[in-house]
Amino acid sequence: MLVPPHGGRLVDRQYEGREADEIIAGLQGLKSLTLNAREKNDLEMIGNGAMSPLEGFMCRDDYESVVDLMHLVSGPVWSLPVVFARKVGDPEVRPGEHVALADASGTIWGDMAVEDVFNADLASEADRTLGTTDISHPGVAYLDSLDGTYIGGKVRSIRRRDTESFPNYRLDPKETRVLFRARGWKTAVAFQTRNPIHRAHEYIQKCALEIVDGLLLHPLVGETQEGDIPADVRMRCYEEILKDYYPSTRVAMSVFPAAMRYAGPREAVFHALLRKNYGCSHFIVGRDHAGVGNFYGTYDAQLIFDGFDPDELGITPLRFEHAFFCRKCGGMATLKTCAHDSSHHVFLAGRKVREMLGEGVMPPPEFTRPEIAQILIEAARKGEDR
Amino acid sequence: MKGLVIWILADEGSDEAVLDELGTEIKDRGGRVEVFHSEAVESLGMEENYRAKAVACAMLASHGVVVIASGRSGSGIVPGEKLAVREVSEEQLRDGRVRTGFMRDLELAGLVPPPKYDVHPDEEKEILKRLQDLGYLEE
Repeated sequence: MLVPPHGGRLVDRQYEGREADEIIAGLQGLKSLTLNAREKNDLEMIGNGAMSPLEGFMCRDDYESVVDLMHLVSGPVWSLPVVFARKVGDPEVRPGEHVALADASGTIWGDMAVEDVFNADLASEADRTLGTTDISHPGVAYLDSLDGTYIGGKVRSIRRRDTESFPNYRLDPKETRVLFRARGWKTAVAFQTRNPIHRAHEYIQKCALEIVDGLLLHPLVGETQEGDIPADVRMRCYEEILKDYYPSTRVAMSVFPAAMRYAGPREAVFHALLRKNYGCSHFIVGRDHAGVGNFYGTYDAQLIFDGFDPDELGITPLRFEHAFFCRKCGGMATLKTCAHDSSHHVFLAGRKVREMLGEGVMPPPEFTRPEIAQILIEAARKGEDR
Repeated sequence: MKGLVIWILADEGSDEAVLDELGTEIKDRGGRVEVFHSEAVESLGMEENYRAKAVACAMLASHGVVVIASGRSGSGIVPGEKLAVREVSEEQLRDGRVRTGFMRDLELAGLVPPPKYDVHPDEEKEILKRLQDLGYLEE
């Protein structure tokens, strides 16, 4: 039996086809609020159950409870606010109103039964959830762009498959759960990534797979910051490596349509809880998971899990050290398993790798498989790598 | 705890199998349920039949039972004013999503325990087909 969804049941507030048409028809003449990119990602993931038990954007009580205590008022662990911000130019709304949720182009992606309109202390939110108020942190910069008013309430999301990126890799939590069962997996480990795959990632994934039934490769394809490798390049890398280096019956890849918040430790917990909803029993947490710059300590994203009761998390974090190829060991290793000093290790800093790829130079095969390097060099040549 | 009267509406009277199926699902989930078949009071006239059935349903529901009964669309009679009453059409009930939402409402009301499954069995078949179409599973 797979791990139960967070909060006991999968939320299903996603509609398409005739039902979606009926919802949209019912929104004619009602006020419309504007979704930004992050909120659009969040709406999708509330609707498809990835954010269970959330059924909508948070009202004040849940927001404050999450910011201060990392728990929802109803009890489950929840580490980051999932909120809808009032935008300049949007109409004023009050609790009790039924409103459409549309993107900046006017396309309707859902609706909300407004339950709460409240002011938030965004500096305090940044400090508590991101651990900083430094405007150079992308999460702080995002909060700084808001006016400090949040609108909460239950939502319904509209699914428009014809507009989705990576349509062949879009699996909702209920779909991954059915997939795992059909493959006979009782346990599965999720790997979250916003980077192309190097040998270090492959090693960690395969170490994790040794102790569970299956591996869910779950590249994040929601909004990321400028400078991250684009999702389509990352997906090409994964497609390539899956052909020859992973057992097809033990691995599944689908996309994770969340936006990055760069909240480090709190986002590691958030990522783990969402993967629990996808049916995963384990979650890989590497060094500086969901970090950015030097805002978080190397192991902060691993240590935060110690502050929770394992039963309330319901998903087991697998903590990994940085991996590398050790010439003396003759294989991949980590500081935990390698007895040799760094002079034997094949390690390249991210900036150095970028430089090499930009110049068309293949990194050592111990660092990146040649098939992957070729894709990254090609992407750099076409200017797709940023 | 108060129960609930679920009126399943159809133009020509409900299909008894639909009532039984829902009753079985609630019972299997651990809920206290009574399916009120129309023949139980069929000797009465149409309107009396309806009212008598409504009274009986209300009595059962007041003791915490989920009562499923059939009704006619547009009859205008919605008995059991002081009790929670849900009306649903046969067509809606055959829709997996409506069915799931319906069971969720009962769950939130404390009338049935949380589900033993994470995906409704009816929906699971559709998902398996999609997974095959996408190449995740062999046909």
